[in-house]
Amino acid sequence: MQATPRLTDARILVVDDERVNVVLLERILDQDGYRNVKSVTDPSEAVALFDQFEPDLVLLDLHMPKLDGFAVMKLLEDRISRDTFLPILILTADIRPEIKRRALAAGAKDFVTKPFDRTEVLLRIQNLLETRFLHLRVRHDPVPEGQAT
Amino acid sequence: MWRRYGDALYTLLTLAVFGFETIALGVLSLSFLLGKASGIASTPVEAILLSVVISSASALALLGLYLLSYHFISAMRDRHQAGQVDAWTEWWVALALASPDEPVEGRNRLPRVAVDSVLSLLEAVKGEEGDRLKEALAGHGVDRQFLKRVNTGHLTARLDAIEGLGKARLPQALDALLTLFAHAKPVVRRMAARAAAGTLAVMAPEPGPNGPHARFIRAIRHADLQPGVVQEALLLLETRAGPILRELLADPELPHTLRWVALETSGRLGLADMADQVAASSTHPDPELRAATFRALRRLGAVPEEAEAQLLRAVEDEVDFVRVQAAHAAAFLAAETAIPALEPRLGDPSWWVRRAAAGSMARLGEVGVAAVRRAAENHPEQAAREMAVQILLEADELTPAAARLATGVA
Repeated sequence: MQATPRLTDARILVVDDERVNVVLLERILDQDGYRNVKSVTDPSEAVALFDQFEPDLVLLDLHMPKLDGFAVMKLLEDRISRDTFLPILILTADIRPEIKRRALAAGAKDFVTKPFDRTEVLLRIQNLLETRFLHLRVRHDPVPEGQAT
Repeated sequence: MWRRYGDALYTLLTLAVFGFETIALGVLSLSFLLGKASGIASTPVEAILLSVVISSASALALLGLYLLSYHFISAMRDRHQAGQVDAWTEWWVALALASPDEPVEGRNRLPRVAVDSVLSLLEAVKGEEGDRLKEALAGHGVDRQFLKRVNTGHLTARLDAIEGLGKARLPQALDALLTLFAHAKPVVRRMAARAAAGTLAVMAPEPGPNGPHARFIRAIRHADLQPGVVQEALLLLETRAGPILRELLADPELPHTLRWVALETSGRLGLADMADQVAASSTHPDPELRAATFRALRRLGAVPEEAEAQLLRAVEDEVDFVRVQAAHAAAFLAAETAIPALEPRLGDPSWWVRRAAAGSMARLGEVGVAAVRRAAENHPEQAAREMAVQILLEADELTPAAARLATGVA
């Protein structure tokens, strides 16, 4: 049976065109013990970094020039297999329900509204990563039939 | 307005160069016209031509040199600026994430880049971290500078200050921003409304007639603001919008435009717990408000029991756009209540009402889909049958071949 990795070992990719947001998230994550964080401010570089870094979680801004968050999710769609839980956490200042619905339909798993609260961001990241690792564990060590509780 | 460093000088130089060339060429042309150039190869003409060519060449060389220097210096300056922004961002982030016990360090005077940097950061973070940044801003007197510029100075500086206050969301600036709701210039009123709403969104609610929410409502009611501006401001209130919208909707004297905006905003924000307050406007004499009420209920996805009878009546309202919105909202009633009201509307003279009715029925589960299917097969009116078929096709409840058979369209 494979040991469950620590949450802080998770690889986190940050995609946000605002440098200030990237620095803030990097520092928040670093303070909380996350060491494997990579980020891009140019969304067109996101896919290449995704392929190379193979993140466990993507923190994605929605409103970006040239390539917005929806377009990035569309590009990532083919790279994330259907039976994999690879969460995308949207960071946006747009609180309209229709935007949330559209993002959820495009593959986002959760939202944080800007300006965000540090504790809230960390809790959402933690929850998504826990779910991600549980999925990975089930995939690697499926529970035999009849033993599920 | 000069947007980049050196733009003014660049324009002056260009003007001087082209002006000089124009004068030189003008003199040459005049010389020809006056017949002084009968001998085109004469020495004076050659001298003039030569001087024009030399001056043009010198001018173009100067212009080219300037352009190169301009871009070089601009690039250097941008790099320097970006470096400064990065340095300040790191400093502010460190300050925001520092332990609450650590004192907020003061620096004597903040350069513009530092203020811009912290304002950007305040758009990203709130809570304790945001409060620390605001404390630091106040410690440097930035709030006082903004408040001073809000009331005096050039319009551009005033708008800059309002925008800064909107980003900083400083509670101490709320009253100054509310005062600007009465400003003569619409752009100032608009910016102030946005900034005040953003500020109120991070303030703790204080009940009572002098609390910030009550002051904001009074300012909104008495200001000459476009409905779109009010709606934008109410949307910016985010989680604090509920109590304000509730108070606005509860006011029987509320102007129609504001009531319409409050209904729209309640729906757009998806404040489902406000369904009762929203439904209270379902009997309003103004059809625009009745329609807005049912549109909001549809967006909330909830129709309170007390409003059911009114909704069923509104499905037969004399105004077609009210019938449309009521038919959409009927999708959130129980199927056995909604279907008998919606079925007759499949034969409505308005295409939009027929579509809304059929769409809502299809969303009411198997019973609803069965009713639409019956209409597709047996409804006496062709328009109703076609709409039912269209909706079944869109809901993947019908194959195109079956649709052709039902409608008789090849």
